[in-house]
Amino acid sequence: MSIAIAKTPAEEVYADLDNLPDGFDDIRKQAANAVAKSGLPNRRVEEWKWTDLRRIVDQAYPPAIGGDVAAEKLDELSALSPFGNIVGSRIVFVNGVFDETRSQLPKNISISMLASADKVGFSLRDGDVIDALNLAYASDGVIINVAKGVKVEKPVELVFLTAPDQPATITTRNVIRLEEGAELTLLETHAGHNEAYVTNCVTEISIADNATLNRVRLQEDGENAIHLSNTAANLGQEANLRDFTFTIGGQTTRNQGFVTFNGENAALNMSGSYMIAGKQHADTTLVINHAVPACESRELYKCVMDENARGVFQGKVIVARDAQKTDGQQSANALLLSEGAEFDAKPELEIYADDVWCGHGATSGDLDKNQLFYLKARGIPENKAKALLIAAFAAAAFDEIENEDVREAFNELAQGWLQRREV
Amino acid sequence: MLEIKNLHAKVASSVEEEGTEILRGISLTVNPGEVHAIMGPNGSGKSTLSYILSGKDGYEVTEGSVTYNGEDLLDKEADERAAAGIFLAFQYPVEIPGVATMQFLKTALNSQRKARGEDELSTPDLMRLVREKSQMLKVKPEMLKRPVNVGFSGGEKKRVEILQMAVLEPTLCILDETDSGLDIDALRVVAEGVNALRSPDRAMIIITHYQRLLDYIVPDKVHVLSKGKIVNSGGKELALELEKDGYAAYEVDAA
Repeated sequence: MSIAIAKTPAEEVYADLDNLPDGFDDIRKQAANAVAKSGLPNRRVEEWKWTDLRRIVDQAYPPAIGGDVAAEKLDELSALSPFGNIVGSRIVFVNGVFDETRSQLPKNISISMLASADKVGFSLRDGDVIDALNLAYASDGVIINVAKGVKVEKPVELVFLTAPDQPATITTRNVIRLEEGAELTLLETHAGHNEAYVTNCVTEISIADNATLNRVRLQEDGENAIHLSNTAANLGQEANLRDFTFTIGGQTTRNQGFVTFNGENAALNMSGSYMIAGKQHADTTLVINHAVPACESRELYKCVMDENARGVFQGKVIVARDAQKTDGQQSANALLLSEGAEFDAKPELEIYADDVWCGHGATSGDLDKNQLFYLKARGIPENKAKALLIAAFAAAAFDEIENEDVREAFNELAQGWLQRREV
Repeated sequence: MLEIKNLHAKVASSVEEEGTEILRGISLTVNPGEVHAIMGPNGSGKSTLSYILSGKDGYEVTEGSVTYNGEDLLDKEADERAAAGIFLAFQYPVEIPGVATMQFLKTALNSQRKARGEDELSTPDLMRLVREKSQMLKVKPEMLKRPVNVGFSGGEKKRVEILQMAVLEPTLCILDETDSGLDIDALRVVAEGVNALRSPDRAMIIITHYQRLLDYIVPDKVHVLSKGKIVNSGGKELALELEKDGYAAYEVDAA
């Protein structure tokens, strides 16, 4: 006898084909049907055992597009971006819709919007509910193409502001393509108001031979937000991807990364940091697929948890039978500032080749009492000393960021993190 | 300036146990301009005394008092003591990866100035001050960009301790085994740095196991600490006697 599990309100809404936006009809239907069939994953699904999405998405959150938001609110949320003086152009989305007035488009690269595109060639990622939900409900997003050999000098910023007037799911999908030898730095700010919402942002990246993408994301979503994201990347020969995510906001965050090496001698650096407190929950789940020989992957996560916050890191590295000379290293370190804080790490290696260099490590600890005393003995008050040490801990991850101004901006955010929580 | 009266202390975690007292009735008065040396064998309580004066957690004062310029010192947090002018040069300076030495100096000096109600120093002014003091102590500018004490040699660490002292300009300097791990050239540089800071308003307590450092930094008074008590006090000649005869006589006396 099988027992049908009753659908949650969210599952009901997500499975309702009447809620689908226009365009891409076939793939949207296919995606919504996949969600209807699987439901939201719960803790009995291995990849979701520490982040029970079915329970976390605790109300309907109907898919929504646009809606009015007060200009002052948008100004306030935009101000959370620390990249103001670093970027040369900015592409802003408000509640999943491109906001032209707040954007300054870059000139030397091809940009179009998903909402006005007719054919993109999406396909559904098997068994990935974030991707299926995203394909079904994506309302807009940017499609960037950097032509062969073009090196974009100034970073481009993507800003996603979320403030729906009632609990809703806001969905965006971006496609970033770098042709042979192209170079781009992409900075992203995700911010939202403090009412409950779900934001689902998927980015498909393809980096052709010898091209380089530097991508840095700052997540400052509101304190009741559920932030879901996917980064799916394919790397060509001698391609380079540096991807960094700094998670500060959101009630629950799930960042997934799926990277596949398709050409030899490519390099990936996927790193990040969390600074979370209260009952915040942040989860990074990565699958790095070394399908070809002689590629290098690095993952470094420095996560700070205070109060009852919980951090999760799951990193899987797959090395195919032919992928000899693979060099894959991952490491996740936690700084637990209180008894109630928690960090769960699950590094996984699936190696089918025999001449590889792969390793992983995970550590957790609290602040070093001797360091704290040393700083205090020089006249630095306890809170300031703690802030310095927290920032110093995260700095090892920030060092993976290519752009020095971004590193500086993140150092400042990290140093101010304790203090801003006191306000 | 500093008045220690009948100070008894033990490690805080061993509250229940008897006989774990590390300091067993220390009395000491240090006046402005004076340099006091505290000598003693290992385990006599020298480092504990320096930690209790500078405010490290983990010790419990069970009896006695310490006042500094008339104020109760033991009530204050470590950072408040630093702002009040107390500086501990660590026997083992702590490595702090991720915090650049210059940033550390700036944060320390400006925290102290702020606590004293003084204006904070601008970055250019601070750089000038630090550069000037660095030359005397042979601290290379590159070192100031590196994280605090990370990858420094033993001698470099001690020189940077004295550099911090020169920048922060404390009124009471406590030097805990500053000579340990130094070769003779490094010892001379450190001692010159310390001597340059001697002034009529500044007192120093030099904690050391060996007499060697006192050839370079000549004390006004020498005290012998054994088993948590000062068992003898005298002038600088006392240090020479100790060098010759060792601590054996005191350890028997104090038992």
